[in-house]
Amino acid sequence: MRMYVAVFLRIMLFISTSLLVYDFLVIEQNFIKMERGFTSGFEVYISPWPGYIFVGSALFFLIANLLQYLSVRRDKKSDIKAFMSFEYDVSDERAVANTRKAVSIAFALLLVYSLLMIGSYMSIPNYFVDHIWFPLFTTASIPIFGLLVYLIAYKVLQYK
Amino acid sequence: MIKNRVKELRARFHFTQGELADKVGVTRQTIVALEKGSYIPSLLLAMNISEVFELPIGEIFMKEEK
Repeated sequence: MRMYVAVFLRIMLFISTSLLVYDFLVIEQNFIKMERGFTSGFEVYISPWPGYIFVGSALFFLIANLLQYLSVRRDKKSDIKAFMSFEYDVSDERAVANTRKAVSIAFALLLVYSLLMIGSYMSIPNYFVDHIWFPLFTTASIPIFGLLVYLIAYKVLQYK
Repeated sequence: MIKNRVKELRARFHFTQGELADKVGVTRQTIVALEKGSYIPSLLLAMNISEVFELPIGEIFMKEEK
């Protein structure tokens, strides 16, 4: 359960950051259009929700991380030296070994996925101008993909 | 591959998986994986198990000939 929460919070952080940057880019792009004479003015609505989600997720993540650190310190079975962040299970030596394997699998697949994402820019060059969300969200999808692969790989190894 | 007699010895000592896990300092899932043969323990864990069962490591863990 703890790992699901950690991965969910991380993903929410990436998504909300992307939405915040997207709003900023839309405004910047509209100013550039105005400067170049394509438009005389523009209206934009910026939702506060991505900001709320970002701050809420970041706070919750920090607090949960701190609580997990304290719990790992108290638990004699846990490997405190292996503790980095609360999505990494350090509850005993097998959990640490499984975490290492799951991270290796996630990293290997991440390299393939990154290659595909870079390749995807080649087939849709117009997206950079008309759909500025594309490079932004494809970039955000890379760590999200990695996190999901890590979570699935860990759960498979845990019940093996 | 390494096979082990953890399940047999645990039954002989009347320990539950949770009790053995607490004695050797791991989680119950690790004992389950050990008994299934899907996890090879570290030397430290093997030594802890041998201490609990009062047997040399070689009598609990042995190489499986292919």
